[in-house]
Amino acid sequence: MIGPSRVAELDMPAAGVETGAARPAQSYWNESWERLRANRLGMATGVLIVVLALIAILAPAFSAVVTHYQPQTIDLDSTFARPGVGHLLGSDELGRDTLTRLIWGARVSLGVAFLTVAMSLFLGTTVGMMAGYYGGWIDDVLMRLVDTVLAIPAIFLFILMSILIRPNAITLAAIVASVGWGQVARLVRGEVLSVKQRDFILATRSIGAKDSRLMVRHLLPNVLPVLIVAASLGVGQIILIEAALDFLGLGIQPPTPSWGNMLTNAQSYFFRSGWLVALPGITIFMTVLASNIFGNAVRDAFDPRLKS
Amino acid sequence: MLAKYVARRFFASVIVVLGVTAITLALMKTTSGSYVPGIDLNPALRPEDIARLRSQLGLDLPPQVWYATWLWNVLHGDFGRSMIDGSRVTDHILERLPNTLELTGTAILIGVIAAVPLGVVGALRRGSKSDHALTVTSVAGFAVPQFWMGLMLILVFSVTLEQHGLPWLPSSGAYSAFNGGDFLDRLQHLILPATVLSFFYMSTWSRFIRSSMLEVLSQDYIRTARAKGMSERRVVYLHGLRNALIPLITLIGLELPGLVSGGLVVEVVFGWPGIGKLAFERALQYDYTTVMGVTFFATLLVIAGNLLADLLYGVLDPRIRYG
Repeated sequence: MIGPSRVAELDMPAAGVETGAARPAQSYWNESWERLRANRLGMATGVLIVVLALIAILAPAFSAVVTHYQPQTIDLDSTFARPGVGHLLGSDELGRDTLTRLIWGARVSLGVAFLTVAMSLFLGTTVGMMAGYYGGWIDDVLMRLVDTVLAIPAIFLFILMSILIRPNAITLAAIVASVGWGQVARLVRGEVLSVKQRDFILATRSIGAKDSRLMVRHLLPNVLPVLIVAASLGVGQIILIEAALDFLGLGIQPPTPSWGNMLTNAQSYFFRSGWLVALPGITIFMTVLASNIFGNAVRDAFDPRLKS
Repeated sequence: MLAKYVARRFFASVIVVLGVTAITLALMKTTSGSYVPGIDLNPALRPEDIARLRSQLGLDLPPQVWYATWLWNVLHGDFGRSMIDGSRVTDHILERLPNTLELTGTAILIGVIAAVPLGVVGALRRGSKSDHALTVTSVAGFAVPQFWMGLMLILVFSVTLEQHGLPWLPSSGAYSAFNGGDFLDRLQHLILPATVLSFFYMSTWSRFIRSSMLEVLSQDYIRTARAKGMSERRVVYLHGLRNALIPLITLIGLELPGLVSGGLVVEVVFGWPGIGKLAFERALQYDYTTVMGVTFFATLLVIAGNLLADLLYGVLDPRIRYG
């Protein structure tokens, strides 16, 4: 996601990219960062996502200073307002300000998305690393479990779980992550299987390093690029899934605004205001588009092998 | 060799099926204490009433008995009973399945028919304006929420057209409630949901055909065909496209599970009486035995679809060896 590249920024040498034979040897992270920085569209979308995340974090400040509404402020004198001076992006059936609700909705949508990615990565990495490192029956059991989880059509599983566990932001993330970790585990396992064969692992083991040290200090850094790519490509899809579940009424419940559940209500007021239908969707679309483009840029920069 | 491979893949599938039953059972057991939320809190029910209800529904049986019974029933095509009215889940599935297949089948068909020419054009005019336009469209196809695209189409083609007195498309259901149900009526209802669903397939597959076509066209035998003076049209369509389409067939095979589960959100948006909508409606009523039965049924199809795609791949591409 955004973390690693920002760290890399601090380590950057003052000089720009040097070309030709005189180019000094650079670390993998510096090179990847250079490649990412050279991708202007990728950087632009990355900045957009950071800005969106900041807006989401600063939502209370925005609704106090910019829009002057709270997301739950009901104003029955100005229902279905068109976008204009009073309500920048209009208002809904209860006169609630759409822009304010979109900003607060970003908290939910982005928050759940990042939390889901974090949970999937943690669980998937743990399982994938155990399976790849220990091999044998541990590998068999864990990977059959992954096969099983990934065989269930995700949307049905989400529906089933969300009626068994009434979701809030954290459990919703856990529900989506309960499927997402499978893909990560497969990726990590494949990567561990190849890294495990290299000489430095043998060398490390021969000086008496324990399994846990080998995994965390030596295997994990080598798996990190795959994880970064998986994370940045996953965010967009997870935002879509989360929005769909909210829309269906199986995710974040009203009155807490989220991009998905704003559309559930809008459906009933087609004839009163098309804006209510258009705006949350455009927000989701732009965010997912930016995430996907950024994800592709990150993949091209961090894992050039995969470039299509 | 092939028989051995098929046997091994089949065995692996059986293990996955058993795993899925175990997971659904575990999910169900964790909550079966209150099949209706709040039943324990209802002051009108005495503890012995609750116990009677639980034993009526078989909730007091030990898990292994429960599991064996359920598995036995599934083997006989019985996917359980509804928690709400005791109706057979299998009946519901069979009633809704044709509608779902009508929608998703049409969408997949339109998706392929649209994707092939688009992908070929993209590959032949690589870097041109039309190629860029196609790229943008398919990137958008990955980012647009299906349910929102459905709402927007309803807003434009049903609501706005109707407001202006123009002919409009129906926004909900698979056929009209009154005097409906003939071919033309069903077709009208099909247009909007099938458009939404096929847009996604088109985005994926046109990209795929484009890159597959580019790869094939760079092969030696294409150069040979051109060198011996074969017309460009013959080169592209006879030698190029035919080979570029082989991997697409596997890809479509992998979408077979989507025939049942792919359209859930679209079904809900358009009120399409299919399997997805069934699961959704029953979910809102906490009828989780029905949801579970449908989920398990869909999972069986996913596993069968994957198996089929795997085997198809070997049949179509003789280079694949079964180890």
